[in-house]
Amino acid sequence: MQYAVETFSLTKIFSDWWGRDKIYAVDDLNLQVRGNEVFGLLGPNGSGKTTTLKMLLGLLHPTKGRTLVLGGDGSDPKINARIGFLPEESYLYRYLTARETLDFYGRLFALPAEVRKLRIEALLDMVGLKAVANRPVGTFSKGMARRIGLAQALINDPELLILDEPTTGLDPIGTRQIKDLILKLAQRGKTVLLCSHLLADVEDVCDRISILYGGKIQAEGKVRELLQQTGKRQITTGAISDTAVEKIKQIVQQEDTDCEVTSPMDKLETFFIRTITAAQEQAQPISGAVSTTRIGDFLAREMPAERILDKLVAASVSRETTPESPLTDQVAPVQEAESKPDEGLLSQLTQSAEPAPGETGAREDIKTEPVERAEPPPEQIKKRILDELTHPSITPDGAQDQAEQDKSQTGDSANA
Amino acid sequence: MHSVWAVATNTIRQALRMKTPTAFVVLLLILLPVMGISATGDGTLKGRLQTFVSYGLSLTSILLSLLTIIVSAYSLTSDIQQKQIYTVVTKPIRRAQLLLGKLLGVILLNVVLLVLFSAIIYGITVYTPRYFNVTEAELSKLKTRYAQALEDELQKSGASYSEQSEAQLLQSNAELYHLRVAVSDFEARLAQINNEFFTARTSIVPVEADVDQEVKEIYQKRKESGQLPEDMSVSEIMKELTGIKRLEKRAAGVGHQLLWEFHDVKPRDPNASLFVRFKYDVSNPSVSQVYSQWFIGDYRQIRYGTEPKTAIYETPVRSDPVRTARELEFPADAVAEDGYLAVGFTNVPLNDTVVIFPLEDGLEVLYKADTFTANFLRAVLLILFRLIFLACLGLLAGTFLSFPVAILFCLVVFLTATFSGFVLESFDSLGENLIGVYSYTVRPVIQLLPQFDKFNPTKFLVPARLLSWALTAKVAALVVAVKGLLLLLLSLLIFNFKEIAKITV
Repeated sequence: MQYAVETFSLTKIFSDWWGRDKIYAVDDLNLQVRGNEVFGLLGPNGSGKTTTLKMLLGLLHPTKGRTLVLGGDGSDPKINARIGFLPEESYLYRYLTARETLDFYGRLFALPAEVRKLRIEALLDMVGLKAVANRPVGTFSKGMARRIGLAQALINDPELLILDEPTTGLDPIGTRQIKDLILKLAQRGKTVLLCSHLLADVEDVCDRISILYGGKIQAEGKVRELLQQTGKRQITTGAISDTAVEKIKQIVQQEDTDCEVTSPMDKLETFFIRTITAAQEQAQPISGAVSTTRIGDFLAREMPAERILDKLVAASVSRETTPESPLTDQVAPVQEAESKPDEGLLSQLTQSAEPAPGETGAREDIKTEPVERAEPPPEQIKKRILDELTHPSITPDGAQDQAEQDKSQTGDSANA
Repeated sequence: MHSVWAVATNTIRQALRMKTPTAFVVLLLILLPVMGISATGDGTLKGRLQTFVSYGLSLTSILLSLLTIIVSAYSLTSDIQQKQIYTVVTKPIRRAQLLLGKLLGVILLNVVLLVLFSAIIYGITVYTPRYFNVTEAELSKLKTRYAQALEDELQKSGASYSEQSEAQLLQSNAELYHLRVAVSDFEARLAQINNEFFTARTSIVPVEADVDQEVKEIYQKRKESGQLPEDMSVSEIMKELTGIKRLEKRAAGVGHQLLWEFHDVKPRDPNASLFVRFKYDVSNPSVSQVYSQWFIGDYRQIRYGTEPKTAIYETPVRSDPVRTARELEFPADAVAEDGYLAVGFTNVPLNDTVVIFPLEDGLEVLYKADTFTANFLRAVLLILFRLIFLACLGLLAGTFLSFPVAILFCLVVFLTATFSGFVLESFDSLGENLIGVYSYTVRPVIQLLPQFDKFNPTKFLVPARLLSWALTAKVAALVVAVKGLLLLLLSLLIFNFKEIAKITV
């Protein structure tokens, strides 16, 4: 099987000024990332994650061993054309505006001017920076710079996305968005290699993980297999009566094991997003004065982004799933967001993460869904979806796209 | 190519938004016009023009050189230091393309700025004579006025025009005389700037007399009699003796004559003028004026008594100040068909001194070979070549040094190249033993650098010397195609194998 990323006894030793070996940053690392999977490289600070990524891309030379990226050398321009890379910090040209930044990177990929323009607008929309697109990125906050960094990694519609700490500096909503984006890209057949020490993020999106320490792999495997407590079972029910609980306890005791009954907790992330949504809805008329406006601003503009994301997915996934996000489909039985597309991402996000009444397994579903995801047929993967977007007339649902685009444009001008 | 261009435009953007060029541009935009007004030179219009062109071009060249060094060195080092390069080299671009893009950006920026500033300098230079009303139109106006006045006077006296009557009137009528003097003064001023500044003249210097044999004999003699100074090396002694002997060949005692012969004199236009530029030195320090008589033409015609084919011109006895460059103007038809020309000088007995023509700029024959505009253009090209070299240098420094060090490195190289003539010369005066060490270590390194002082554009424009296309091409080949390319290849080599993400503190 052809791996998307493969390393063979990869070793990096940093030596001191006299050439004496000092630090084994990466030590005899054999890594295999399969095509179309989300692979997480975990580890504490200084465990060699970033060094490994840099060696994959030719930014550092391995002391020993070698790497294969998409079947070739990671510093070969032909291979680079199929990779999107987000470094550990968004190293951007401070004097360029957001739009110029994306244009610069687009030109490095030799994208034709029209395609470039459409992609830039789509990406700016997606990362919620359209309103500040003409501001120098030097004036951006860390989170905003991160969003631009992500956008530049996506401008070539890469097959392999290498993300180094993608969520650092982002607020929970931005983090959530990136996680959703990663999942959706994976559904489109992309491979994502991300490294992070924020375990919650990794847990939510990764199919497989490797835990590095001291430049060596300490554990590796599917997230579900690594985390599942096979000796235990969890039952989630609706608000059942105490008598019912007693009955269940009795049944369990017949099995000779203990039973604990509690009310499930919301994830803080879910709670946070719900709170912000509520606040945002109230603050809408007086936006600009409240401290959360900044976030709100971004998210208000997130609606069309979500639409684009959906289209990104829809173009490669079957026609039937087009109208809704597959993620939402799985976890939110009530399709409110679908009937009201204008409500924006936030409501969708909230619904998708919020445990519906009587269904506490929502979280579990989000986590494990990608693992069991069926691979889309290869010819669909190959489709250049962004390009299709630029020619709505040739897509099967062209008319609808056009209508949506118009809508979003009016929405944008209203927001601006 | 698209990625090279993307990097180039980005480099220009970086430079422009960094505001460094703005500072230089504002400085030049203020300084150039101010210099146009304040540069007076020796008080004459020619002096004013020379001073302005010289200062203006030198200032532009120096400021743009500094700018080039800063922009090119900063462009790469900041990308590496601030790590934007991580996101650039991981895109489909070769490292060579990245370097070439940066180079292209810096060069384009330089071309634009250089065109802007040289246009300003050219504009001010050409406009200055008009500002002081020293133009052909003004001259003809003055001439008409004189002719009008002359005619009026002639009518009054009832005489018809003849040279005699004109001369008589000039003697008797002070007003007319002053007008006449004004016309000839004006003519002289106009001729001076046109013949000595707004032109490009080829200069021919006499071949140095071969004195090697004589010098060797003197050396042997002194060696045998033990008269050699002990604190000087052999080469130094020989050099000094050669100098003395050569000067002897260019000195004329009272009543003596000197004759210089030139070959391959090819004036562009036989109806144009030929100039003999000379400078006197005297053995008697109390003498400040030298009386002389000159002749110019095909001297062989006199020697062999053949029938003269070309004219031979002679000056009346004239007086010129000592240690000041003066020029004699002759019609160019004094040159024989085969390009032969002789220039003779007589130290007339009115003088009380030996007259010496200094070695470097004692005597030369000049004739117009091209226009000022073309010369100016080539002078600007020389500056551009220098800037291209510096851009390559800045990039090279950026590939292996961090920002401030890279700038310092470039400045050292730039200054060494600027004063390379002086530095090389100073090695020659070192003691015998030291020369051995230096001539194998420092000297080749310095010779690798371009010699900016040798190809200084103002050296050609101020004395209105022709900067030929051939020389321009030679400098281009040497400075850009050989030395610049060498630096570029070196930087490509270093950059290609550089471990970009390696942190060097």
